[in-house]
Amino acid sequence: MAIPHPRDIQVAVVDWLDERYPFSKAVDEALYQRVPNFANAFYYCFGGMVFILIVFQLLTGVLLALYYVPDAGGNPAPAYTSVQFIQNTVYLGWLIRGVHFWSANLLIVMVLIHMARVYWTGSYRAPRELNWMVGVLMLLIILALSLTGYLLPWDTKAYFATEVTIKIAGSAPPQQLGAFIKEILQGGPVVGPPTLQRFFTLHVFVLPALIVLLMYVHFRFIRAHGISEPL
Amino acid sequence: MPKRVTRRTFLGWWLASLLTATVVTGLAPILVYFWPAPPKGQKKGLITVSMQTPVDQLEDGTATQILAPTQPNSAFVMADGGGDNAPGELAFGGFVVKNQGKVTVFAQNCSHLGCSVAFNKDAKTLDCPCHGSRFRLDGSVLHGPASSPLSHLSWKQAAKPNEIEVDGLVLGF
Amino acid sequence: MSDKDLTKEGPGATVATPPREIEIVESDGHGGHTLEPEWKRLPIGPDHILYPVVVGLALFPILMGDAGHHLADDMPDDETHPFFPDHFWPYPIIAVVMLIAVGLLSAFVQKNLQLEASADPRAVTIPRPDWYFLFLFQFLKLGPELIMSLVIPPIVVGALLLFPFIDAIAGPRIARRLGWKRWPVPGRNIITGTIFVAGLAFIAFLTLWALAGPNFCLPYLTGKVCGA
Repeated sequence: MAIPHPRDIQVAVVDWLDERYPFSKAVDEALYQRVPNFANAFYYCFGGMVFILIVFQLLTGVLLALYYVPDAGGNPAPAYTSVQFIQNTVYLGWLIRGVHFWSANLLIVMVLIHMARVYWTGSYRAPRELNWMVGVLMLLIILALSLTGYLLPWDTKAYFATEVTIKIAGSAPPQQLGAFIKEILQGGPVVGPPTLQRFFTLHVFVLPALIVLLMYVHFRFIRAHGISEPL
Repeated sequence: MPKRVTRRTFLGWWLASLLTATVVTGLAPILVYFWPAPPKGQKKGLITVSMQTPVDQLEDGTATQILAPTQPNSAFVMADGGGDNAPGELAFGGFVVKNQGKVTVFAQNCSHLGCSVAFNKDAKTLDCPCHGSRFRLDGSVLHGPASSPLSHLSWKQAAKPNEIEVDGLVLGF
Repeated sequence: MSDKDLTKEGPGATVATPPREIEIVESDGHGGHTLEPEWKRLPIGPDHILYPVVVGLALFPILMGDAGHHLADDMPDDETHPFFPDHFWPYPIIAVVMLIAVGLLSAFVQKNLQLEASADPRAVTIPRPDWYFLFLFQFLKLGPELIMSLVIPPIVVGALLLFPFIDAIAGPRIARRLGWKRWPVPGRNIITGTIFVAGLAFIAFLTLWALAGPNFCLPYLTGKVCGA
């Protein structure tokens, strides 16, 4: 039996897919959709940059999760020592953690610039109101991700910054409600191991899932509306 | 003109509310899961803290810092509150203050936003480094932004002269 | 009951209709935009070695579904360009540049990545949030805590969330009152544009104030307020 050329295998696969659903048509449509020339202005690229940074975050986040231990019991806590381990011992650990850290900072900057551009050019106007609202929700999720991620290294500054944040959330009136919020966020009477686990769960499972979902909705809306007109 | 409620609409709403109520009552108990259960080994009790100077030999107008022990990990429990503090809240440190012959123990948490206050030897005050609140040695506010006095910790003299027992909580982690 | 029973006279009678021809429309799935003509596409078809790469690039937009009808479809050809590669090519470059930038930052600005001591609630430190929350932290000091933390920020976020509707409803009314012909977008609007710039300036000011440190104090209604 003659060995088939890779190209023949590829064509066969595409043909197989095409018989089941309009595969190559979908690829063509996606790739060759026409874009207005005004969308080439540099200030239309901030959203794409935010997307790229979020991809960086997801990838480096998965890598960090290989070594991170969400345990705050004892002193020094395993959470703290595991971050030290990533930073100082793991091969290229400093780079992965560094990219996660700096991308997070850059992400906030880019999100704000992107939002400012959308506001400035009035791109939130009909029919794009829903997409603006999705965007604001994503901004809040990004801030929540920063807040929860800040605690994970479990060092002094993280601890006290979180304590203040929870305290502010817990000052909601009436007092019982505030105490309830505080207890639920902290997972106990003080900021401690249960707090870290709760923040870890939010940072690693809940919020990323939410933001990926919202990103899908965001892009879907953009694709439905097309790029907004410039100023 | 208000629309007449037909039997059909009524039954529709009735069934929808029944369904909602069933789902809510079925799921609501699961919310308890979010309420933190105390870890094993968490218990209230008196915490013995040893000090360098016995309580009866403290100089007047001084405040000595005490810290809740780490072995086992414990915290003091505030006896009263005000501002950011509340009775029953935890403090990881405090000050044994001797003022005009009377010994009091305060939680170190500033009543403004909970930063740890520090003893200012020269002015004989407890100062907060965060937002500049200052407290007199009787716990009252000398300078804002705090508006409530420092919280007290309940304490009593232990068997040894240089040890005191403070109301506290062994955290269990 | 047969068909002829249906043919009755009088009110409510059904009218026998001849079986209707259902028109079969050969649809190609989307009524929206036009694809590139064959000769303008890239010479990368399923028989090209790089086709999997192209498929990978297209996967994301494929998930996005049909593009619908766009402004670009009504524009003359020379005012538009295809998404790939004309619109796509800067993004891989941007991605690589950003990756290099954050990589260099993590290599040379290690200071920000170093940890302090492991958290101990007994330690005495002045809590300070990360830079992006500094403005909020400073804002708290400007008034009663509850109002500044749990009343105003949610209102601002709510206003931001609902801004498209606020702009669409309140905007034209303000425009009419001022005698403007229309209510322009913020970039051309003295009111919404100024609110935006002033808001950003206020946030920047609060951040700088906080960054200036606890010894930097400015006079305020309630006495002096210092940085964080």
